Amino acid sequence: MHPPDSEKPGLSRRGFLKGTGLSVAAVGLVKSATAAQEAPAAEVPTLSAAQTHEISFELNGQTTQAKVRTGHTLLETLRDQLDLTGTKLVCDQGSCGACTVHLDGKPVNSCLVFATDVAGRQITTIEGLAKNGNLHPVQAGFLHEDASQCGFCTPGMIMSCKALLDRNPSPTRDECKEAISGNICRCGTYFNIFRAVDHAATLMKGGR
Amino acid sequence: MKNFDYARPQDVQSAAAALGKAKGSRPKGGGTDLITLMKSGVLTPPLVVDLASIPGLSGVSRLETGHFRVGATTTIAEVAEHPELARVARVLTDAAATTATPLVRNRGTVGGNLCQRPRCWYFRNLDYVCSKKGGQTCYAAEGENKYHAIFENVTCNIVHPSNLAPALWALDATIHVAGPTGEKSIPVADFWVRPEEDISTENVLEAGEVITGVSFAPEGASTGSAYHEVREKQSYDWALVNAAVRLDFEGEVVKEARIVVSAVAPIPLRLEACEKILKGQKFSDALAEAAGKAASGGATPLRDNAYKVHLIEKCVKNTILDAARRAKVRSGEPR
Ligand SMILES: Cc1cc2nc3c(=O)[nH]c(=O)nc-3n(C[C@H](O)[C@H](O)[C@H](O)COP(=O)(O)OP(=O)(O)OC[C@H]3O[C@@H](n4cnc5c(N)ncnc54)[C@H](O)[C@@H]3O)c2cc1C
Ligand code: FES
Ligand code: FES
Repeated sequence: MHPPDSEKPGLSRRGFLKGTGLSVAAVGLVKSATAAQEAPAAEVPTLSAAQTHEISFELNGQTTQAKVRTGHTLLETLRDQLDLTGTKLVCDQGSCGACTVHLDGKPVNSCLVFATDVAGRQITTIEGLAKNGNLHPVQAGFLHEDASQCGFCTPGMIMSCKALLDRNPSPTRDECKEAISGNICRCGTYFNIFRAVDHAATLMKGGR
Repeated sequence: MKNFDYARPQDVQSAAAALGKAKGSRPKGGGTDLITLMKSGVLTPPLVVDLASIPGLSGVSRLETGHFRVGATTTIAEVAEHPELARVARVLTDAAATTATPLVRNRGTVGGNLCQRPRCWYFRNLDYVCSKKGGQTCYAAEGENKYHAIFENVTCNIVHPSNLAPALWALDATIHVAGPTGEKSIPVADFWVRPEEDISTENVLEAGEVITGVSFAPEGASTGSAYHEVREKQSYDWALVNAAVRLDFEGEVVKEARIVVSAVAPIPLRLEACEKILKGQKFSDALAEAAGKAASGGATPLRDNAYKVHLIEKCVKNTILDAARRAKVRSGEPR
């Protein structure tokens, strides 16, 4: 993806990254569309409200660029710019979990993350789970247990369930309830979801 | 959401300096509260200063004094799951574990939790120019006030939303603050601002000041602490009422008690009347019951929230019982 109009080599604000603990060189650059000398007070690296900024991050294992404004959320960027519409928008305020993605391996509400904040970091969305045409065990578990009705909560549910199994291969029912407590299902598929997690746990341990 | 200048300083001093310069600017921890208020247009900061990327501002450490320090950008999840904190400050880890959702806890920070804005639906709705937003009326006084205050509800009927606030107060924690003029430490008891003093804010922080961390003494060998909340739904919810209790024992006798409640008034409230009932007395279930009863003293419920009067009594009683039980377990006494 090409940076916007006036971008010239050498004008990226590398200072933005300094000391943030990002050790990668190619990933995580935030470049701004206009020259650095127009920036406000030099001492604190600042992304301007008036400009578009190019971010680079790892999305489902691939280095990915996006052009974002400071007011853009990660959710908007995934859906509207990167065409990854598996991640759903419902409440837009952290209350429903439909927008759940993994940020550096942890499940978060992508509607409550600024897009510029993911520069240099790893994002996994529902589109990143299946490998070589094979469903992830959690996805297979949802199919096996018929754990979605309208399906709108399903991508977020699956991301929360996967996060649970990543850190706890044998969750109890209560641990499962807690792990998906930030994901709301309007159709009430919860019991099938609990069974889907049990099924996925078995699959992940090599069972069938 | 309106775009804004977004600064990511590398140290607290430059964060404070940047915030001090731009009127209406806001610091950001995880952004889980700030972003929702910016989406609705209730907050339109020209400049947002990210604290989460400042190195060294997150994490739990033990100070030379033996006190524990939790950095401002430590996530609520980290606090909730911290095994050592669970041993020395159980009231805090319980409060963290019941905060919001697992997804919000992975982003939300300790500093942001203490400074999050009230959940009052009139305050959060741009169409209501309520007194907290510079208008003349508190719409909750005569309006839909099921979730509003039952104490100190004179000028503004919000309740303080933070779970961590009463827990930190029960630990007599200190809040560490950095600002354009330097650093200071504020006892958590002195951190809150009543609507009558300044309706536009809930705490004493001035423009440019940010929380850098909180610290507290670990619980002693005969201390027990607990946090309980009552909510409308089990999965996650803001508390209808909550209570944070710390009891220090000398044998069977309560030597010191801290009882702090929240979600019932514009700021967290320490209930000294309840503490007095316990202090110096041999502990019993009846004593906990009496202290619980006293918790509703002076309540002035609104049209829709008298149910909270009953809840706060039970909540305080049960939290006291839990704290006492934990103190016993810790000191090795049979129940
Ligand atoms: C669905 C949902 C349910 C929730 N339920 C609960 C609940 O049950 N209990 C509860 O306590 N909370 C609850 N919350 C609120 C949540 O805990 C807060 O949004 C979170 O703690 C805020 O932390 P943050 O780091 O994201 O803050 P931010 O959104 O970054 O900031 C919040 C406010 O504090 C200011 N601020 C941030 N950091 C600092 C600092 N270090 N110094 C000074 N000011 C600062 C910001 O300027 C802003 O005004 C819930 C939220 C959601 C979305
Ligand atoms: S859309 Fe993000 S939590 Fe509902
Ligand atoms: S399947 Fe319809 S919302 Fe969950």
